[in-house]
Amino acid sequence: MKAFEYVNAQTPESAAGLIGTEGRYLAGGIDLLGEMKEYIATPARLVNVKNLPTTREISKTPEGGFRLGANVTIAELAAQADLPAGLIEAAAEVGSPQIRAVATVGGNLAQHSRCWYYRQRDLTCLKRGGSTCYARDGENKYNAIFTGNPCISPVVSNLAVALTVLSAQAVVWRKSKEVRLTMAELYADAWNNPLAQNSLQPGDLILAVEIPAPVAGVRSSYLQVSEKSDFDWALVSCAAAGSVNEGKFRGVKIALGAVAPVPFQMEEANALLEGKPCNEASANAAASLILATATPFSHNGYKVPIARALIRRTLLNLAK
Amino acid sequence: MSEWPSDPKFLGKDTRRLEGPAKVTGAAKYSSDMQPEGWLYGMIFRSKWPAALIKSINLEKARAVPGIKGAVTVRDGERPVYFYGEELAAVAGTSKQACLDALRLIEVEATPQPFVVDPVEAMKPGAPSVFTDSPNLSEAKIKEEGKVDEAFAQCAVVVDGEFSTQVQLHHSLETHGNTIHVRAEDCTAWASTQGIFSVRDGLADQLKLPQSKVRAITEYMGGGFGSKFGPGVEGSLAARLSRETGLPVKIMLTRFDESLAVGNRPSSYQKIRLGSDKEGNLLAFDLDGFGSAGFSSGGRTAGGGGGAGFPAPYIYKVPNVRTKQAGVATNAGSSRAFRAPGHPQGSFGMESIMDELAVRLGMDPVDLRIKNDPFEIRRKEYAIGREKFGWAQKYKKPGSTPGPIKTGVGVAGATWGGGGKGTKAQVTINPDGAVEVRCGTQDLGTGIRTVIAVVAAEIFGLTPDKILVRIGDTDFPPSGGSGGSTTTPSVSPAIFDACTKGLQQLQTVSGVADARGVNFLPACRKLGVEPIVMQGEWREGLSSSGAGGVQFAEVAVDTETGFVKVTKILVVQDCGLVVNKLTAESQVNGGVIIGLGYALYEQRVMDPQTGVVLNPNFETYKLPGISDIPDIEVILLDMPERGVIGIGEPVVIPTASAVANAVANAIGVRIHSLPITPDKILEALDRVPKGATAGNEELDPAFARVERADGVAGDFVDFLPA
Ligand SMILES: Cc1cc2nc3c(=O)[nH]c(=O)nc-3n(C[C@H](O)[C@H](O)[C@H](O)COP(=O)(O)OP(=O)(O)OC[C@H]3O[C@@H](n4cnc5c(N)ncnc54)[C@H](O)[C@@H]3O)c2cc1C
Ligand code: SF4
Repeated sequence: MKAFEYVNAQTPESAAGLIGTEGRYLAGGIDLLGEMKEYIATPARLVNVKNLPTTREISKTPEGGFRLGANVTIAELAAQADLPAGLIEAAAEVGSPQIRAVATVGGNLAQHSRCWYYRQRDLTCLKRGGSTCYARDGENKYNAIFTGNPCISPVVSNLAVALTVLSAQAVVWRKSKEVRLTMAELYADAWNNPLAQNSLQPGDLILAVEIPAPVAGVRSSYLQVSEKSDFDWALVSCAAAGSVNEGKFRGVKIALGAVAPVPFQMEEANALLEGKPCNEASANAAASLILATATPFSHNGYKVPIARALIRRTLLNLAK
Repeated sequence: MSEWPSDPKFLGKDTRRLEGPAKVTGAAKYSSDMQPEGWLYGMIFRSKWPAALIKSINLEKARAVPGIKGAVTVRDGERPVYFYGEELAAVAGTSKQACLDALRLIEVEATPQPFVVDPVEAMKPGAPSVFTDSPNLSEAKIKEEGKVDEAFAQCAVVVDGEFSTQVQLHHSLETHGNTIHVRAEDCTAWASTQGIFSVRDGLADQLKLPQSKVRAITEYMGGGFGSKFGPGVEGSLAARLSRETGLPVKIMLTRFDESLAVGNRPSSYQKIRLGSDKEGNLLAFDLDGFGSAGFSSGGRTAGGGGGAGFPAPYIYKVPNVRTKQAGVATNAGSSRAFRAPGHPQGSFGMESIMDELAVRLGMDPVDLRIKNDPFEIRRKEYAIGREKFGWAQKYKKPGSTPGPIKTGVGVAGATWGGGGKGTKAQVTINPDGAVEVRCGTQDLGTGIRTVIAVVAAEIFGLTPDKILVRIGDTDFPPSGGSGGSTTTPSVSPAIFDACTKGLQQLQTVSGVADARGVNFLPACRKLGVEPIVMQGEWREGLSSSGAGGVQFAEVAVDTETGFVKVTKILVVQDCGLVVNKLTAESQVNGGVIIGLGYALYEQRVMDPQTGVVLNPNFETYKLPGISDIPDIEVILLDMPERGVIGIGEPVVIPTASAVANAVANAIGVRIHSLPITPDKILEALDRVPKGATAGNEELDPAFARVERADGVAGDFVDFLPA
């Protein structure tokens, strides 16, 4: 990798001050060091953010919700039994035990594209500043089936999908202030802009993720299908949260991962489920609505039936 | 083969790997661990073009990087490049980072050329030619026995299908490479190799040194699977850099490099027709096949399979057979021998069509196999296996499990030679009773060190831990490369011979009539100061060849997500005399896991637009992980009377075929191409929205001879629940 400076930030303010135009925040380094080794990223300075105060803690908010510090590791999340089930399941499916022990919540949300053209050291695709999206007419088996821009690289963060349906917000240090972004907001830019990995602006620092206080009766579920049993990316993932009251869906949210540049959700589908009986027919109706606008590419049409099955299964899990 | 002891203490029993503790504690030193005084890192500069004409390579800026001590080109002057990742130059320096920095400063003047990486595309008229002077497609080799067309006309049942297999990479956990020190008069190479003598000879030739002045050492190594004979380009570059710098140079390839230029299992495309009478006696077989072994395939080869040929109709006896096989050159890294070269491909096509035939005949697939298998041992294995597996209870009408998760079973058989050949060994019996056996073989991870100790211990009546085994050094008596399942059948007889002679000599000199066991030490004590040193060699009668094996697989397929879980593999395998049961079973486990990867996960993916490899890592080149591995049950037929036969290759072969048959049995539709991934399952089940394809496309345009005939998949669909 290219030689770089290394600095330890002690406060969000100093971290943001040190980052400059050519610096990058370093958390677990799983994603960033991979990019640097391939010369996909060549930062002049790494600003270690792991020592920022309180960012390694899982705590309760005054309202009774959870605050997950940005540097909490995924292994710690997976082991925190009082967190919503869907989040624990999503965390437990990330990579391998080694990766989970090092990877952080903030880094997982801010990780970059895993499209294999993007990660190929000798290619410069559109997202890396080139002129072509190779995936569109190429080996797009793992790419998105929904997109709002020429890049069809999907969001692959397991956590993003689970956090979406939990109505979580990222607490972001932006221009010396804390701002809050919903998961939809955190990724919105990637929907429109082929160069964007997410909506974070240069210097934006994730401090924590906050999950609202659990409402009685609300459950959550996360499922994914991969090619291997373990240590493999999701081909499609799906999270749902909500309650089932007297056999009826209430306040359900559903989101898909690995199918779009953003955690893919459709308000109409959530609305459609409201008050509907918790059964296969309702779940299938929601799936049909969500998938109606899918535009698969030459090799990824199979994601549609997987998504359909996962939507149904996660929704029915809410009654379990 | 009565020469082997009839009532053995260790042969056929479980002896733990002698080097196990050294390996798990890190004490075992591999080639990559060698750090001779002053050693330098070496790294290879590779082509970024899949095809190009190189005009010049300028190493000046690379040489100027601090820490860089040497730089060489693979070839000077103008040269062509045939594939992405082809080696062009190498640098050596005091740190890895210095080398990485230097590689980025190498300047190449090149004219990119048109290229083609997809074999089916490469066969089309007008496709870019890999070589300017020869066609991509080799002249097909056609073989015909009997009267095929007439025989087909008489068949009661004819099935046909098109099958394809992917390019699989060896991906040994220890990458290719060497640490090499070339001095003025001699050379030492610590090589990750399965053939120390071929490394020695290759380096001697290249360095113009006498073979006696080159020493290759491989004490431990982490796998080769057929891809590590000879010094390789990486070895020759390390040697040249060492000569240039006067220092030892270590070039161990990166995982990325492993995906490009150090071999693979060639792809195959097979259009098969098979016919039988009403009772299932095979009558006629017709194959139109081709494959690509990368750039070293096709028109430049001697013709026929062009490095990508495979056996057909594999293990079955069919009176009327016609096969047509060709090889296609593509701009991709060249194939190398890969554990059971050719067989997994041949097995997949043939065993798949056999099951199609069984279904059409309404016959049990095991019965159909027994009926048409000329090899008695395998027929016996089918009988043992079906009992043990509970085949009769498990085999049902394809696709008939109720609900979305469907289970199925499949079976397939395999053959391999695995005989022995020339090996020499030396035993030293010291007056204090210490026994040392030396043999210039190498342990590529299969356990030959332990096998040697077991044989020696058996003969001397000692325990294996009392035998000091020294291998992996060309200063020891010569043995061949570890390939083709020949190591154990080559080495064991030589050890037997040396030790038997050593024992006789000990008895003669000491006057102890039976110097084995408790008498061994007292006999040694009578030797005075002179140890006994005895040579032995491989000879006929202690080994043989011709192993047969069968495997049964059980799977569960989620028909809504396409996910396949293999739940059980049963292996019934012959390898003649089992020398060490534990390491033999370990070989079976390893083989099955390679077969599972071939069946469900592994595939080198190349981009047709840019010619690069898209999955040069373990993240996207998917190897089976621990949770993908089912219960593997191994039954070895111990047949001492046959002598020692190798077991490495045959156990790799039938796994993918058995799994594919089990998947077809589960879901009622056949997947015609490997690996069997969820996208293909869902497409075969017609669940994928129209207009999208998943790489299980019909291959037909590539076949010139016959017009398209629908695979038998259609016959199964009726069984699918609505
Ligand atoms: C083989 C493999 C398999 C994987 N499988 C999965 C999987 O199945 N599911 C999944 O979800 N993930 C998977 N991952 C991705 C992995 O989870 C992420 O790479 C990891 O979570 C990143 O966290 P990190 O702390 O290491 O981030 P880093 O690598 O340190 O940082 C990642 C990025 O985020 C930025 N960043 C870090 N912290 C902050 C912050 N506080 N604020 C703003 N920006 C920040 C960095 O600058 C960098 O751009 C896999 C990765 C690998 C290598
Ligand atoms: S999908 Fe995006 S990341 Fe992938 S090749 Fe296209 S532009 Fe690049």
